[in-house]
Amino acid sequence: MEENRFDRRITFSKSGRAVYISHLDLMRTMQRAFKRAGLPIWYTQGFNPHAYIMFPLALSLGISSNVEIMDASLTEDIPCDEVTKMLNSALPTGLKIIKTAIPVKKHTAIKKAEYEIILNAGESDFNEFISREKIEIKKKTKKSYEKLIDIKPDIEVLGLRCTGGELFISVRLPAGCGLNINPSVLIEAFSEFTGEIYTAKVSRTRILDQNGEEYC
Amino acid sequence: MYREKIEKILPSVQKPARYIGGEHGSVVKDKNKVSVRFAFCFPDTYDVGMSHLGMKILYGLKNSVDDYWCERVFQPEPDYEQKMREEGILLYGLESLEPIKDFDFIGFTLQYELSYTNVLNMLDLAGVPLHARDRKDLSPIVVAGGPCVCNPEPLADFFDIFILGEGEKVNLELMELYKTMKEKGAGKEEFLLNAAKIEGVYVPGFYDFEYNCDGTVKSCTPNRNGVPERVRKRVIEDLDSVYYPDDFVVPFTKIVHDRAVVEVLRGCIRGCRFCQAGFIYRPFREKSVDTIKRNTKDLCKSTGYEEVSLSSLSTSDHTRVNELLAELVDYTKDEQISLSLPSLRVDNFSEEVLNKISTVRKSGLTFAPEAGTQRLRNVINKNVSEEEIMRSCKIAFEGGYTSVKLYFMLGLPTETMEDIEGMADTAHKIIDLFYSIPKEKRGKGSVSVSISCATFVPKPFTPFEFEPQATRQEVTEKQEHLISCLKTRKIKASWHDYNVSLLEAALARGDRRLGAVIEKAWRRGCKMDSWDEYFKPDIWWKTFEDLNIDPEFYACRKRDYSEVFAWDHLDYMVSKSFFIRENKLAHEAKTTPNCKEKCSGCGVKKECGGVYCGGK
Repeated sequence: MEENRFDRRITFSKSGRAVYISHLDLMRTMQRAFKRAGLPIWYTQGFNPHAYIMFPLALSLGISSNVEIMDASLTEDIPCDEVTKMLNSALPTGLKIIKTAIPVKKHTAIKKAEYEIILNAGESDFNEFISREKIEIKKKTKKSYEKLIDIKPDIEVLGLRCTGGELFISVRLPAGCGLNINPSVLIEAFSEFTGEIYTAKVSRTRILDQNGEEYC
Repeated sequence: MYREKIEKILPSVQKPARYIGGEHGSVVKDKNKVSVRFAFCFPDTYDVGMSHLGMKILYGLKNSVDDYWCERVFQPEPDYEQKMREEGILLYGLESLEPIKDFDFIGFTLQYELSYTNVLNMLDLAGVPLHARDRKDLSPIVVAGGPCVCNPEPLADFFDIFILGEGEKVNLELMELYKTMKEKGAGKEEFLLNAAKIEGVYVPGFYDFEYNCDGTVKSCTPNRNGVPERVRKRVIEDLDSVYYPDDFVVPFTKIVHDRAVVEVLRGCIRGCRFCQAGFIYRPFREKSVDTIKRNTKDLCKSTGYEEVSLSSLSTSDHTRVNELLAELVDYTKDEQISLSLPSLRVDNFSEEVLNKISTVRKSGLTFAPEAGTQRLRNVINKNVSEEEIMRSCKIAFEGGYTSVKLYFMLGLPTETMEDIEGMADTAHKIIDLFYSIPKEKRGKGSVSVSISCATFVPKPFTPFEFEPQATRQEVTEKQEHLISCLKTRKIKASWHDYNVSLLEAALARGDRRLGAVIEKAWRRGCKMDSWDEYFKPDIWWKTFEDLNIDPEFYACRKRDYSEVFAWDHLDYMVSKSFFIRENKLAHEAKTTPNCKEKCSGCGVKKECGGVYCGGK
């Protein structure tokens, strides 16, 4: 660890209007928020120095979350609670810091994520879909032809309930730098199965390591 | 309710963050606690409009009044517009996400003629009748400001009010009047009659045009009592005390100019005869170094931007430019902010200034000689000599620069093939200059010069408002000649499509009869005309032809000094007799000194706060 570099792991929520901020734009937005907050960000020491802010697990556009992780380094040892407070004063609506901590696990420790999906679909349709032997999706490979892969073994449905004509699906999917399955892939596959077009509200609820423990 | 409809389609369009607001600095108020709602519309995409300084100023100004709420509105990209139309979503304000048809004011800024079809498109998308005469109620009042308003006649049918000149005071006066009239239950006619009494407010519906048999304007006269014969633009006398935002809306997505901007001065002392901005923004006024410094610090601090740019027509004409740059460089360096200076002139481009910029960032170097020979530069009163360009290039090359961009205009009054050859000569001399500098002293690698050649468009309120635009054939011949004069691949030349320039010229000096052309062209699918990929010249020319209107009548006709122009009833303070005098001098290739050297009596009065006005 370099001198004068103080790492922070920041948990934040992304909701409301902010769910339409893309991953790349979020980077710029956070950089500016640090600057506005007066937090002294640590710059990488390379040929082209840039503010060190990174997101170990990207969140797709349109998905809300209460568990997003951002790693940032400061040049001063500012207490975690202070970082939370200062950043919150500078963030646009829909982005909110929940807590700041000192990082424990490596980025590669992220293995799974949990989502809640709200769909305008029937429970039986989904049960039929999910209990098939195989759930195949098309995946573009590097050589640019499409390949069918079976994602069935990777889907863990944790809960299913139907209220007021809406289906609430709670699901755990692989996430991180290895295999990563986006909930939209699951919805698309379901949509292809039934031939219906769904409007879905998706939120990420947990980020987990290989032992199923909270990433921190 | 509306927001849900919007959010339903957002996931299916490109860069949806542009259509949902919520950026840092955007102002959300309680609609039940404000009495006047204003939709500030920029008739181009979010990426372009969000870069515009005038919008930032007026947005901040209006929202600084508790009782007013100003929201931003842009022309959606075609993918989103299509979805909006399919789903029946009307054009809405980015702050409230509510349809702007229910607002009190819908205001457009008219920055360039090629955005006119977007104005109609946005009104249509908003569900508002296009024609002012079809909007009977008090609200929405459709207004416009910006440079093109100096000849707004082609759009006169569609607007209730045009605001002439600088908007900081007149906008608030207009909104205040509206508030009073709305409270007492007045109708639109009564409001407009009172509005027309405010200096800078032009109500086109209160004026009638008559035309001569040859198609020229005969007269423009008021058709109501108590309406001024000529409407005068508004000027802010003191730039240190006028409102300037201390925060900007900071977009999530990348936009054209994504940075803090600080205005340093207004107006220009130069009097280049082709340049409309040089005349309509007179007199030359500047902010004090302290104000500029304060604005810079405030903005950088509150926005979190890492780049700040100084905005003006010619930053180096600030009377204390060296002191200003020294102070700003100190501040920005400490804060790891980069400083950009887009409008530095060749003739006072000093080594000192160059060193100041290069401590921050080194990019390409741009010069605008505008014409290829000294004779023609005298004609246009662009007082830049070749020696000055060479001197500046030498300093730049020795400072490590290797690429130079030259801006020229083609089709200027009195231009000959010799002037075209002059452009190529200048470029060749710059190349030779580079290689005359010893290798170890100049920048690494090869040199490149790019010539960017715009077709000259004569504009109202310039000494060239009488001049014909070059015809398509003339322009083509000159472009071909220029190419034949270029002897090395280190020089590249580029130009705009002539169709764009011809349309711009026709609209710029057009009259009310063009309203029908614009409307029909839009109905036939023309919009986003300033975007190469969407511009449809064939539809435009067919529409002109079908309506029996000749674009060349407006663009390519030599006009007499005695001709009545469609903008003669608008008073931009610079007199027509001055423009005639300047036009004559141009044809004699005689220059006019700048305001700093000597007052040339353009007509702007001392009271307007000009640094050099009134023989100072």
